[in-house]
Amino acid sequence: MTIRDALAGVRWYLREVSGETAYDRYVAHVRRDHPGEPVMSRRDFERWRQDDRNDNPRARCC
Amino acid sequence: MRRSKTRSIVVWTAVALVGAVAWAIVALVRGEQISAAWLVFAAVASYAIAYRFYARFIARKVLEVDRERATPAERLDNGIDYQPTDRRVLFGHHFAAIAGAGPLVGPVLAAQMGYLPGTIWIIVGVIFAGAVQDMVILFFSMRRDGKSLGQMARDEIGPVGGAAALIAVFSIMIILLAVLALVVVNALAQSPWGTFSLAMTIPIALFMGFYLRVLRPGRVLEVTAIGVALLLIAIVLGGVIDDSSLADEFTLSPETLALCLVGYGFVASVLPVWMLLAPRDYLSTFMKIGVILMLAIGIIVTLPVMKNEAVTDFASSGEGPVFAGALFPFVFIIIACGALSGFHSLIASGTTPKMIEKETQVRTIGYGAMLMESFVAVMAMVAACIIEPGLYYAMNAPAGVVGDSVQSASQAVNGLGFQISPGELQSAAADVEEETLVARTGGAPTLAIGMSEIFAGATGAGLKAFWYHFAIMFEALFILTTVDAGTRVGRFMLQDTLGNVVKPFANVSWKPGLWITSAMVVAAWGWFLYGGVTNPLGGINQLFPLFGIANQLLAAVALTVGTTLLIKAGKLKYAWVTGVPLAWDAVVTLTASYQKVFSDDPKIGFFAQRDSFQEALDQGEVLAPAQSLDDMQSVVTNSTVDGVLAALFAVLIVVVIADAARIWVRVIRSRRPAPTTETPFVQSRLVAPAGLLPTAEEKALLAGAGGATATDRFERERERETTR
Repeated sequence: MTIRDALAGVRWYLREVSGETAYDRYVAHVRRDHPGEPVMSRRDFERWRQDDRNDNPRARCC
Repeated sequence: MRRSKTRSIVVWTAVALVGAVAWAIVALVRGEQISAAWLVFAAVASYAIAYRFYARFIARKVLEVDRERATPAERLDNGIDYQPTDRRVLFGHHFAAIAGAGPLVGPVLAAQMGYLPGTIWIIVGVIFAGAVQDMVILFFSMRRDGKSLGQMARDEIGPVGGAAALIAVFSIMIILLAVLALVVVNALAQSPWGTFSLAMTIPIALFMGFYLRVLRPGRVLEVTAIGVALLLIAIVLGGVIDDSSLADEFTLSPETLALCLVGYGFVASVLPVWMLLAPRDYLSTFMKIGVILMLAIGIIVTLPVMKNEAVTDFASSGEGPVFAGALFPFVFIIIACGALSGFHSLIASGTTPKMIEKETQVRTIGYGAMLMESFVAVMAMVAACIIEPGLYYAMNAPAGVVGDSVQSASQAVNGLGFQISPGELQSAAADVEEETLVARTGGAPTLAIGMSEIFAGATGAGLKAFWYHFAIMFEALFILTTVDAGTRVGRFMLQDTLGNVVKPFANVSWKPGLWITSAMVVAAWGWFLYGGVTNPLGGINQLFPLFGIANQLLAAVALTVGTTLLIKAGKLKYAWVTGVPLAWDAVVTLTASYQKVFSDDPKIGFFAQRDSFQEALDQGEVLAPAQSLDDMQSVVTNSTVDGVLAALFAVLIVVVIADAARIWVRVIRSRRPAPTTETPFVQSRLVAPAGLLPTAEEKALLAGAGGATATDRFERERERETTR
């Protein structure tokens, strides 16, 4: 494994863990499972995703 | 094949030998100081063996995880909450959700018994109880489409058990929030540097929230990088403020800070998530993981020496100043997170089971992440035990014992059998640019001192004050995130419950309902917090045992659910896997509650304490350490409420176990498994490794499947997009 691969791995991990890729996943999901349905813009999707957490709080442990 | 088998035997024998030697040194060396590295070796070798052998046994034989069976994430994939997630990513999410201040604070307090009892419990406890609980609950919830612990308790045990579980969850939430907030208050009181830095996190988070909402939605990494940079600047600026005329503005009394936190808790929890909570969550998660890694590297690089004793006299006498009570049961109560934490069962039956890609991964994520948290607890124990014992006691004994000057503290510490001079206390405080370190209870300042010694050992003593405040900030930051998130969860439960009586409350976005329930939750933990701050007997040593009992009560509920499900599935012969930790947990928790309720010693028993203060109060006397009749009255009220809660928790445990035992007997007598509540089998089409690293066999499968993991499938999808 080269240093370049390692850095790419770190970048992949951080993007996945932080949820940066959530939108890409969403788009892929709609295209795959609901073809023909409209796809939200990134701005709308991120808003909707954040607002969803208002109604579905997640516990953080001690 | 044969060669790899031989190699495996050689490797595991070596691991076992390293572990055995490390344990022997940790447990047997007396009279000379050992290196902290031995604790680390003992822990890591034990974890490795437990993960390789015991966790595998549980996964294969007890739970019978099935890689052919589709998980809820695969079956119900909706691209949002149900979503097959790469195991390494989910491991990160799950770990970030379970690990917080708990594993950092408990071991620091338990260090008053010496490092040995706490370390043994952290390591043995996690292997046989804590990690087992997390993994088993994750598995059972996963087989039920991600049902919550409360729902499973109701479905599998009955309405009584279910109600008891719900009360347990709500009360632990309140006590937890109060204790954590108290830790922050004690860390920031009279500390302009810390208070300023923490206050600055609010505008930083607001900026980050605005950035993500309006400027560049979804760019989490860049905004987090900006946030962390601003945070470091805020810490440095705190040092400047500390030396300036503005210092007085940021020097707040504990009472004021407590009120600020209550106000903050209310406002933060009614604001939309994007403004404060979401950006704070990013910051605190990255800080948390980063600092834990730094601490691990720091310990390995600097190899500090353990200055604390292996077992102190307080272990048997039960008269330690940090918290009262003997080794059994109180070490097992004070150290909850890191060894066995009931709270985790809420996370393991929350978001994680809906995102797990393969059944086989419950071992990695459930058991593995908990081992990581246990390791954090071991590091906290190290950090608390490498500082001078005299300093440790001067910091962690309540003001009622050590007074408020370096002279009185030095004297009191000598009385406890340890040495520290007023001058040494003074210079220890000056090293980290704090006014005083006397009676800085709550664990966070002690941990920060330990961490600053480790980090300064690697970077030079000149940075000690920076590292101290860095550590304080790191703890306070994620405690505030927990306070915000926890208040929301408590509010949600309250809205749900009240909604059954008054309809509009059930609508969680109904504003008046939201404000009222938020205020109720904040008032509840705020009451305990304020009581803890003003309590002349010291808040942490009163409240922390209560928090431990509540957490272990929740663990009892979780382990009872696990045992019930094993028995119902016809696996009575394996019911000991959760049954034995349940029995241990019940014995510990009931003994502790019993002592807290019935002990004649006013230092341990809440009601004995209440009686002695009430008697004095009736005669108009003031008992030390109280200084006024108001103090006396507040001690009486606090100890009454705390005593009632301790009794309530004990009753709840007995109710849950007795209610479940009824079911166990019924199923065992019928001699056949109970009807299953699992979602029916659906063939899985995903291929993904079980562990963090794929085995040779899994690699071959992956290649054969053309890479049908969720991630790879997604990548292929994208390639198609771009070529289209």
